[in-house]
Amino acid sequence: MSSILLYNALIGGLVFGAIYALIGASLNVMMGVLRVVNFAHGEFVLIGSFLAYSVFSLTGLNPLAALPVVAIAMFFGGVAAYYLLIPRLRYSDDAETSSFLLMFGVSLMLVSSITWIYGADIRPVNFSFDPVNIALLTVEDAYGKGRDGKVLVPTARLVALVINLAIIAAMTWFIYRTLPGKALRGAIMNRDAIQVVGIDIDRLSANAFGLAAALAGVTGVILTLVIPSVDPNGGAPLTLFAFIVIVLGGLGHPIGALLAGMLFGMVEQFSNVLLPQSAAQMVGFVMLVAVVMFKPEGLFGRKVMR
Amino acid sequence: MADLSQTAPTATGALGRGSDIKRQRRIRRAIWYALILAIVIWCAMVPVRDGNLSIYFAFMLGATMATGLNFVAGFTGYMPFGYVAFYGLGSYVTGIAVKLLGIPVYLAVPMGGCAGILLALAFAPTLRLSGIYFAIVSLSLAIILQRSIALMPEEITGGSLGMNIGVLTDRIQGYYAMLVVLVMALLTASWLAESRLGRSLKAIREDAEAADAMGVNVVRSRLYAWLVSAFFASLVGGVQAWFTGAFDTFTAFDVLVTAKAIIYAMAGGLGTVIGPVVGTVVLVWADELVWRAFPELNSFLLGLVIALLILFAPRGIIGTLIRRYPRLRNYFM
Repeated sequence: MSSILLYNALIGGLVFGAIYALIGASLNVMMGVLRVVNFAHGEFVLIGSFLAYSVFSLTGLNPLAALPVVAIAMFFGGVAAYYLLIPRLRYSDDAETSSFLLMFGVSLMLVSSITWIYGADIRPVNFSFDPVNIALLTVEDAYGKGRDGKVLVPTARLVALVINLAIIAAMTWFIYRTLPGKALRGAIMNRDAIQVVGIDIDRLSANAFGLAAALAGVTGVILTLVIPSVDPNGGAPLTLFAFIVIVLGGLGHPIGALLAGMLFGMVEQFSNVLLPQSAAQMVGFVMLVAVVMFKPEGLFGRKVMR
Repeated sequence: MADLSQTAPTATGALGRGSDIKRQRRIRRAIWYALILAIVIWCAMVPVRDGNLSIYFAFMLGATMATGLNFVAGFTGYMPFGYVAFYGLGSYVTGIAVKLLGIPVYLAVPMGGCAGILLALAFAPTLRLSGIYFAIVSLSLAIILQRSIALMPEEITGGSLGMNIGVLTDRIQGYYAMLVVLVMALLTASWLAESRLGRSLKAIREDAEAADAMGVNVVRSRLYAWLVSAFFASLVGGVQAWFTGAFDTFTAFDVLVTAKAIIYAMAGGLGTVIGPVVGTVVLVWADELVWRAFPELNSFLLGLVIALLILFAPRGIIGTLIRRYPRLRNYFM
């Protein structure tokens, strides 16, 4: 086991962890504010990826150029989807399970639509930064016999990490320091009580759905830098990872999801290095089951949200 | 005088009502058994008159899975989104028993069913979870099981190529085995609905605490429904392996298997005995009639049907009908 592999796992853990953190946080905004279990969240992310792919393949620009367009389009798309789908759910006996099934149906429609528009193939996003790789550090005697090894990281991944962290910082600031953010947190803590202080819960819910969709789309754009290809069937694994993250962080707690996302990213990258493939794919789900069975409030408890 | 006889219930009146209930039950049963008989005759004739085996097999498979899921989703309110775990386990146990141990397939399938019951016992602690936690954990357990089987040595499970038992099994026999399993599931459903257990389950679904106070053993009743449900899914998985002869970890643990079971049951009406059958007939028929014209839109339409059902008819065809015309309750199980 070369220590270079472990360094790579560490950096990969940061890069993917930040992505999972963002996906989990946006899923948890929906979960917390609306009690909607969005089984189509991975497809929301995919829409962002495919829009970035379109911008790149049509104009040759950096996929990041799609970022503002995707954010705005997904926000309004999300608000529209909210009014189309969610209010009716209130009439059902078990709103959470109904939303789960409803969004599963939506995810089938989205995958099918994306496949219909773009075809079923995995498309490469051949955008490259200059330089392609950056050597972060040198490991002495990495391969034995006195040969040194360098820990090379794709520039695109570093850029993705920086942008991702910036968005996470902005989101945390928004949730803790602005009035709409406080309303959002209030709605997560007690949906009934905040209506007493004069908040229009319908408008807040619609905006929260839009915000979550926009964050998901933005994550999709960033994802094209980390994994430079787009796959119409790539949404389902993302949804499952997002569920692992929000369960680890506590259902409905965006900040818990940020921490859990980083944790899951690390665990995933290190298990990829240390375990056989099928076992590595299992680790996250085993963590999920263990947390739900033994610590259903999430690894970080309720204090995180305060 | 007429007023009097209406306001004051007499002994004969109460008796009359009692026989009314019995008569209604007889009608409900007659309709139900006639439906089962019709299905048996119709499906049994298909191989003889060279009908399309695959479609009728899909119908029988769907109806059995939907009925099996209804035991737990309809009668207890749990939504096992990883229901496919039992189906996949049934396929693999059957496949391994036939191929490696040389056991005849008609014994291997019940072995798969028993393995399903054991797995359900192992998963039983999840029954204390509620709502969405149960659904997510159920799905995760199905994925864990799938990856565990993928981890097993290739000589046993066939690895990524999957298993092929086609040379050892007969397709037509598999078809009739499916019919037998379907009839077993339907008879179990009507027996359960009228049994003490079925009434306990309905009471628990409406209000678990009240049922508990009335002396219903909540934990045990739910467990029984869960085991029965798992048993049938595992049998179906085994028979599916018998009929098609080939499967791998992706087809045997495809989340669409669960999704279709849920949708068929919901389309007809969760919690009713006849609902899952009606839902399956309608959707499989629609699948054939309409969706064949637009193959590329197949999964889009499945998703659309799911969304529309949840939004506009969460009680399904039978449930909505009964809600609108309560008298129909006398005719449908």
